[in-house]
Amino acid sequence: MDCEGALSVFTATSGNHCVQGVPFINDILRYDSLSIVGLEKNTGKTECLKYVLERLPVETKRIAVTSIGIDGETVDQVTRTQKPEIVLREGMYFGTSEAHYRQRRLVSELIDVSDESTSLGRVVTARAITGGKILLSGPSSASSLRRWMGEMQHRLNIDLIVIDGALSRMSSASPAVSQSMILATGAAYSANINTLVSKTAHVVDLVNLDLTTERNVTQLMPLEKGVWFIDKEGGLHSLDTMTSLSRDIHFEGMDDCETLYVAGALVDGFLEKVRQNKRLRQAELVVRDFTKVFVTPQQFRLFIKAGGRIRVLQKSKLIAVTVNPTSPSGYVLDSDTLCGRLSEAIGLPVYDLIKNQQ
Amino acid sequence: MQLKNFIESPCGLRYMLDQLDLQSGFARRWLLDSSFMTRGEDIVGTYDVLHRFTEFVYQVEPLFINTLNHKLCGLKDIRTTIKNLHGNSVLDDIELFEVKHLALLATEVKALLKQHGMDGVVEIPPMDEVISILDPDGMRIATFYIYDSYSDQLKALRIQMRQHPEQQEELLLQANKLEDGVRADLSRKLHPFAVSIENAQLALARIDVNLAKALQMKQMGLTFPVLSNDGTTRYEAMFHPQVKEALAQRGREFQPVDITFGEQPTLITGANMGGKTVVLKTLTLCQLLFQFGFGIPAAAAQIAVKDEIHFCIGDEQSVEKGLSSFAAEMKNIDAVIQASRMEKKILALIDEPARTTNPTEGAALVTALLQVLADKDMSLVMTTHYDIEPGKARCLRVKGFENGEMNYQLVEVQDGEVPHEALNIAESLGIDSEWINTARNLLETCP
Repeated sequence: MDCEGALSVFTATSGNHCVQGVPFINDILRYDSLSIVGLEKNTGKTECLKYVLERLPVETKRIAVTSIGIDGETVDQVTRTQKPEIVLREGMYFGTSEAHYRQRRLVSELIDVSDESTSLGRVVTARAITGGKILLSGPSSASSLRRWMGEMQHRLNIDLIVIDGALSRMSSASPAVSQSMILATGAAYSANINTLVSKTAHVVDLVNLDLTTERNVTQLMPLEKGVWFIDKEGGLHSLDTMTSLSRDIHFEGMDDCETLYVAGALVDGFLEKVRQNKRLRQAELVVRDFTKVFVTPQQFRLFIKAGGRIRVLQKSKLIAVTVNPTSPSGYVLDSDTLCGRLSEAIGLPVYDLIKNQQ
Repeated sequence: MQLKNFIESPCGLRYMLDQLDLQSGFARRWLLDSSFMTRGEDIVGTYDVLHRFTEFVYQVEPLFINTLNHKLCGLKDIRTTIKNLHGNSVLDDIELFEVKHLALLATEVKALLKQHGMDGVVEIPPMDEVISILDPDGMRIATFYIYDSYSDQLKALRIQMRQHPEQQEELLLQANKLEDGVRADLSRKLHPFAVSIENAQLALARIDVNLAKALQMKQMGLTFPVLSNDGTTRYEAMFHPQVKEALAQRGREFQPVDITFGEQPTLITGANMGGKTVVLKTLTLCQLLFQFGFGIPAAAAQIAVKDEIHFCIGDEQSVEKGLSSFAAEMKNIDAVIQASRMEKKILALIDEPARTTNPTEGAALVTALLQVLADKDMSLVMTTHYDIEPGKARCLRVKGFENGEMNYQLVEVQDGEVPHEALNIAESLGIDSEWINTARNLLETCP
């Protein structure tokens, strides 16, 4: 095993890169929605949510909390470790399933019961009359989540919606759903610090892909499937292949291609074909958003090194990356080393929230 | 039989339902569960209500309809809750919320309809007492929890909870007990209103359905039918909305058709592509729409009530069921003959029976079918390409090609002689001339 930084005893010294205090709350308030996504179970997503909810100014802002999918079990279904309930503060709005609403441990006022059903019953919307604990389990798909969010914003004038994103389901962090995101990573994702840093950095690279030009956004946003290109004169052409997943993709008659757009998933095979085409790799490759990129870090790096550019139509703001150096098997990475290495690799501050709270 | 049993009928009923702008899923379910009406007075009563809604739709501003529709959007299916209320169970917060939400909604819709004198058309039971039970502070907002005002003790506990968050778990346990008592008390008080609450929910569904039907009548140009007393059904300028729409999208116009039939069998002949099948589809559709109380796609309609409708069309689905198209068709027509022997008023619409077999036996089967059904107490409309002896049947014929254009109108003719236009039509479609000319030569040599 590569042991750099691994297996060290937890130390309480604060490193240069781990920021103390209430760092990113003000950043969050600049957006109308935030999703918190964990790269793996037990990467500290729930702790991160707790941390954020404790510090949001509930007295001056209307705040709503929900989750996507059934992610609110009291005990983690996979690893059997304890999964904490979320503590809501008085005045917070929340969306959860009927089943979990019945188990609530706070006083709350029911505002709505939706028609859409999840495996735990319908989604109910309520407002906390007193603070207390609740299990979160919200709408079960990105589109029903978007509908719920729309209702909250228009009917209840909610300022900020916080979404407890599903594990390894990036769709809840899609810019089509939420404007900003926090990424939770940690030893549970990989106990090898090198692997952990590079895998996390790859996700961050994807989240941080730059926006394409406004003209491209206007022209390409309505196209929800297929592969398209825009020529020098701004003319839009469809490639016969319906998706980038097809095996026989031919780039013919595309000598004047300025922008190549993949509406669906971008995968290794397609990216490689583009890279090997001298003309096309100089074009701008556009995808809807980072959740549509399913390429390995290797292919991604090769493409960038060859001078390729990938741009997105929609982007969410990555507010912070948090780490949990402890894996569920009890394995602990050194918090400071991890924060430092990761921060260096991604060029963003990295926080160990559990340590910060101690 | 309920509406949902007819929804997949090849006559195109689904299109009419899909085009119905219903606001709530509950109203849609209620409509799909509604019964095929076989009593004239039920049908007349249903159209009386729809008539009021149609006048209303023409009278008021579209904005007002939007407001009303927006309210009706909030109608939820709370039948399980109502059942629990009937059964004397203690309702939980979600169920109490649902009852309160419905009661407020019913009151609001009633008030809106009252502005236009429409509040009595569909009776909405008064919900004031239900609301006062669930809205102790008179806030008139459709949210709910076990309010402080239900119990002084509860109120005190909650104050304590806020002051001593560290004791929250213990205090919550005590509060839960008190809340359970309140819920039991509220459920007991609501129990006598279970029937009114149920009726309020049904009334809102009926309003949603009637409003949608009225808007559909206005939008598609549908008419109110007259109940026929002499067994004769008569349509003036009848059209099929789905076919009309499909043609309009291709920049073409639907040519409406006039047709009258009674208890004497009617045989329709005519050229290929002459719209015979569309006529049968439309007749089926109109009869169904009539007996479920919808607007009728025609300029005028007088319709006789039937106990059963049989629409037999060579349908491809039979292949999936493992029957040959001939076997499936025979079984369908057999069902018509069996039904005709019962004491029932039947409308049978049969499209080109026995078309998939050889012309000799086919013609014999069709002639025999006409003879067997002619004396039965039923209305029969049948199309065919076979040259057959019409017997007691009345013969209608599609006018057919005139100056290079199809005239879809039906004219009464004295015999069932079928037109020989297949070759001309095929030619106009640009079909291979070698084939057509060879056929023409064959006809000339062996007449």
